Amino acid sequence: MHISFRHELGRDPWFITGIVLACILFFLIVLGPYLTSYDPDDISFSPLSPPSEEHWLGINDGGMDILSELLYGMRNTAGFGLLAGVFALFIGVSVGLIAAWFSGLPDQIAMRLADVILAVPSVMILIMTAALFRPSPFMLALIFSFMSWPTTAKVIRSHALVVKNRLHIQAARQAGASGAYIIARHLLPELFPLYVIGFAAKARMAMFMEASLAFLGLFDPSRKSLGIMISYAIKYYYMDIWWNWLLPPVIVLTLLTMAVTFLAVSLEKVFDPRLTAS
Amino acid sequence: MKDGHYIKLTAVYFFAGLVMIYASYILPKWLPGDFVTAMYSDSNVTLTVEQEAQIRACCTGKEGLSRYLINLLSLKWGYSYALLTPVSDLILEALPWTLLLFGGAHAASMLLGFIFGVEAAWRRGGWVEKISVGCMTIIEGVPEICTGVVLLIIFALFLGWFPASGGETAYAVQSTVNRILDVGHHLVLPLVTLVLAYFPGNFLLTRGSMVMVLKEQFVQTARAKGLPPARVRYAHAARNALLPMFTRFGLRIAFMVTGVLVVETIYSYPGMGTLLFKAIGVRDLPLIQGIVLFSSLAVLFVNLAMEFLYGMIDPRVRYAH
Repeated sequence: MHISFRHELGRDPWFITGIVLACILFFLIVLGPYLTSYDPDDISFSPLSPPSEEHWLGINDGGMDILSELLYGMRNTAGFGLLAGVFALFIGVSVGLIAAWFSGLPDQIAMRLADVILAVPSVMILIMTAALFRPSPFMLALIFSFMSWPTTAKVIRSHALVVKNRLHIQAARQAGASGAYIIARHLLPELFPLYVIGFAAKARMAMFMEASLAFLGLFDPSRKSLGIMISYAIKYYYMDIWWNWLLPPVIVLTLLTMAVTFLAVSLEKVFDPRLTAS
Repeated sequence: MKDGHYIKLTAVYFFAGLVMIYASYILPKWLPGDFVTAMYSDSNVTLTVEQEAQIRACCTGKEGLSRYLINLLSLKWGYSYALLTPVSDLILEALPWTLLLFGGAHAASMLLGFIFGVEAAWRRGGWVEKISVGCMTIIEGVPEICTGVVLLIIFALFLGWFPASGGETAYAVQSTVNRILDVGHHLVLPLVTLVLAYFPGNFLLTRGSMVMVLKEQFVQTARAKGLPPARVRYAHAARNALLPMFTRFGLRIAFMVTGVLVVETIYSYPGMGTLLFKAIGVRDLPLIQGIVLFSSLAVLFVNLAMEFLYGMIDPRVRYAH
């Protein structure tokens, strides 16, 4: 895994496009509240007015400024994705490393559990809990990560099993290093590229889920989200609002998932030795 | 050893199915309050004590797990609060539409992805291949909501080529042929949206594994024997590149189910997704529960069937375990 991948990434057009997109979006997400002078929950404007000097994207049916809705919705959607991605990655890496290191019974239990969770369609669990209990987005992100760690865990485990038998780890063992030390000092950092790929895949799926669940009406409707914006706007699609109300959240959502997809694709290409060799 | 593998697989899926059934049994029990309080506490209807007791007896599921399982098996999935119709009727009515849409989109995207993937790998390094891989990677990044909305605006709103909603023209008395054409006409936009969502993944995957397979020695042997290129591609190499698509199916299915729900809702297609959307809108819990349980069990079943099929296609899987 110690190839000089920085050079290779720098030449990959997907990586460059992805990172530029991601930077722009990140900038908008972080600075979102400062870029608009309107509160997204302010309903005092005249509904359905077209874009103007004061309101660049016009006003929606509820009398809210669409641009500030968009900026806040983007924050929530991307935030959900990143949070769920981090959680899923954390669980997946821990389970994968522990299963690989201890093997035997813990490995068996972890992998059979992973099989069961993989078999259950996670979106259905999410829909059911969201419909019954109306949990906070934070809880839903947690549930999502509990449903989606197995793929990461399996990949990490299979790579860790290979690394585990390498010479330097055997040397560390002979020197009397404890399991925790070897995991933290050797296994954990050496599998780094896999985390990035796993994180990108999970974050992308989570953003997609957030938008879809919000679109289906499973989130608190007062919480701004790209999915909710689309679901409100699509009711009026036949009116002349499609370009200033319906299209902006669609484009932003596409750019978000695209940025993450491009990064994932290029990282996978560079780090996956089977594909680079070809 | 072969049987052991399948027994283990079946056990995993069976257990997952049990988890889903138990979850759908126990989760509503953890809810505070009940349906009667939720429905009538803030409405203008005032119930007498007897009436309240009657409704409660009829609507709240206080049955034990065994009773619940028997009801489940005999299609007694309760009544929808909002539509006052048996949940099983509603689901079975919506199911053919979803099967048509999902099955059609899936079959089309797999077939297209496979053929184009094989051809692209064969022409590796050419500009056609480079452009198609680029385009597919871009389309792969676009979620269904977005393709759906954009297609709706272009083809239903501006061009008016296809209807914007529904599965067939309502209340129309038509001959069978016209009816099939009508259903097909309504199917185009949702189907294309889903194919655009599934196709790139299948394409990239087939291409990736085909590139690997083409380097194997048996492909060289086949070429050296003087077989026609199409035969080398499909009869020899492509069969081996087919497998990852099947393994991927299980991993992708959660993604794909979400896609179907969203696309059906965008086009108001009369399938399970739209039914679920409506049920969520009015918090129709028995219906939501029924749809969730039914579709999860269906997904589990399809996944298991896929695993068996996988073993049949690939002898290596059979002997390895």
